[in-house]
Amino acid sequence: MTYLVSLFLLGLIFGLVAVASNPAPYFAALGLVIAAGAGCGVLVGHGGSFLSLVLFLIYLGGMLVVFAYSAALAAEPFPETWGDRSVLVYVLFYILGVMVVVGWFWGGWHEACWVAIDELKELVVLRGDVSGVALMYSSGGGLLMLCAWVLLLTLFVVLELTRGLNRGTVRAI
Amino acid sequence: MSPYVFTLLIFNLGLGTTMTFASSHWLLAWMGLEINTLAIIPLMTRQHHPRAVEATTKYFLTQATAAALILFASTSNAWLTGEWAINQMSHPLATSTIMLALALKLGLAPVHFWMPEVIQGLDLTTGLVLSTWQKLAPFALLLQVSSTVNPLILTLIGLLSTLIGGWGGLNQTQLRKILAYSSIAHLGWMVLIIQFSPPLATLSLLIYIIMTTSAFLTFKLTSSTTMNALATSWTKSPMMTSLATLILLSLAGLPPLTGFMPKWLILQELVKQDLPMLAFFAAMTALLSLYFYLRLCYTVALTSSPNTITMLTPWRLNPTQTSPLNPLTTMLTLALLPLTPAILALVIY
Repeated sequence: MTYLVSLFLLGLIFGLVAVASNPAPYFAALGLVIAAGAGCGVLVGHGGSFLSLVLFLIYLGGMLVVFAYSAALAAEPFPETWGDRSVLVYVLFYILGVMVVVGWFWGGWHEACWVAIDELKELVVLRGDVSGVALMYSSGGGLLMLCAWVLLLTLFVVLELTRGLNRGTVRAI
Repeated sequence: MSPYVFTLLIFNLGLGTTMTFASSHWLLAWMGLEINTLAIIPLMTRQHHPRAVEATTKYFLTQATAAALILFASTSNAWLTGEWAINQMSHPLATSTIMLALALKLGLAPVHFWMPEVIQGLDLTTGLVLSTWQKLAPFALLLQVSSTVNPLILTLIGLLSTLIGGWGGLNQTQLRKILAYSSIAHLGWMVLIIQFSPPLATLSLLIYIIMTTSAFLTFKLTSSTTMNALATSWTKSPMMTSLATLILLSLAGLPPLTGFMPKWLILQELVKQDLPMLAFFAAMTALLSLYFYLRLCYTVALTSSPNTITMLTPWRLNPTQTSPLNPLTTMLTLALLPLTPAILALVIY
């Protein structure tokens, strides 16, 4: 499990490096998908399997739509990626940055953050994240309603921003 | 924009700030900030002008980055110390990150670059909302975390903001950019004093809001967004234009006007805290700001630029409709200084 979680963490880092360094939306969105998948794997390693499943389904559902749209909008015949020198410089720079940060924090409070710390790894009826969801529907009801309200607000914001043709924000001038 | 949607957005703008005010938990405070950002975005692009859309995009990206940083710092604080309360942060990593994120939200010096660009792209009313109401929620958070932040960071950010705010405005000819730099400088003064006297910082914010409201509304009254337009603005409203000189001098912080009060009290507090050099440098950077305010004053009322005779009469023919808020804030901007002892007694001590 420890090896698996460290593999996921590596995937997360490299996925984010791919997002930050790739100029072509194909590969950047691919990096984002890899980062999201690896992040969900890390969550599973830390005992949030239900949370991870929800995140994977919903986040990647949205991400695939974004990926499809951005790939359709910015179709390049020869997209540059890690093999090309201009991008490779960025990749090496970001990896160097990650190493500097790792060296900075080495031996501090997250010495053992990749060890699987599932405090509920025994067979129990209520896992941490599932009981959290139950709590959200009982004592966190007010906040849940607030979140629903914000989603409604987001709907209006998006509709207002993307509304029709000559009245809208996104249009050709 | 439909009036229903407009009402919904304005309501949520209030809701976000109120939630951040009312919360003692980082997650709720973050939610309030996000609601605030979401609600202002369609209001910023209401004119559907490409500049406004560009400014909105810049604003959205910076605010989203700052909010993500706040979320990151508060979750790592909760992970390290098990504490979600806003004023109980203890880990230096979390407090420093939060401070930088709030600086980005407020437009303080090392991360201020979005501020002039965004304000310049918007119309004056939205710019006013952005530089007054949108400062309140992050400032409330800043007030609560300021006692746990490293004092060196606060002092550096504060002094750098007053310096950059004065320096950046020097060569500007666009009023909205000048007002943005003035906002940076004023917020720098507040951050400078917030670790010694939070009530004094709040008072400075309040007075800054009053002063900048009257400046924005006066510029809106004469529809001037550049110094050139300001030079002929007296033809539209001679009375308000002559008062605009005093409003600008009040923003600069000259003695018989309200703007002197926060600078006076802050300098006094800094000297009382045995930091005379800091007070000296802050006062010197205020001179930089004074230069561009004086330049505006010169353009507004101390000189009359040549013009054709028909251009000199608009104030006789079409009377300008002023906002009902403008007379109130202008009077407060000009004449609040005699109330300093009462305000000191009520607010500070």
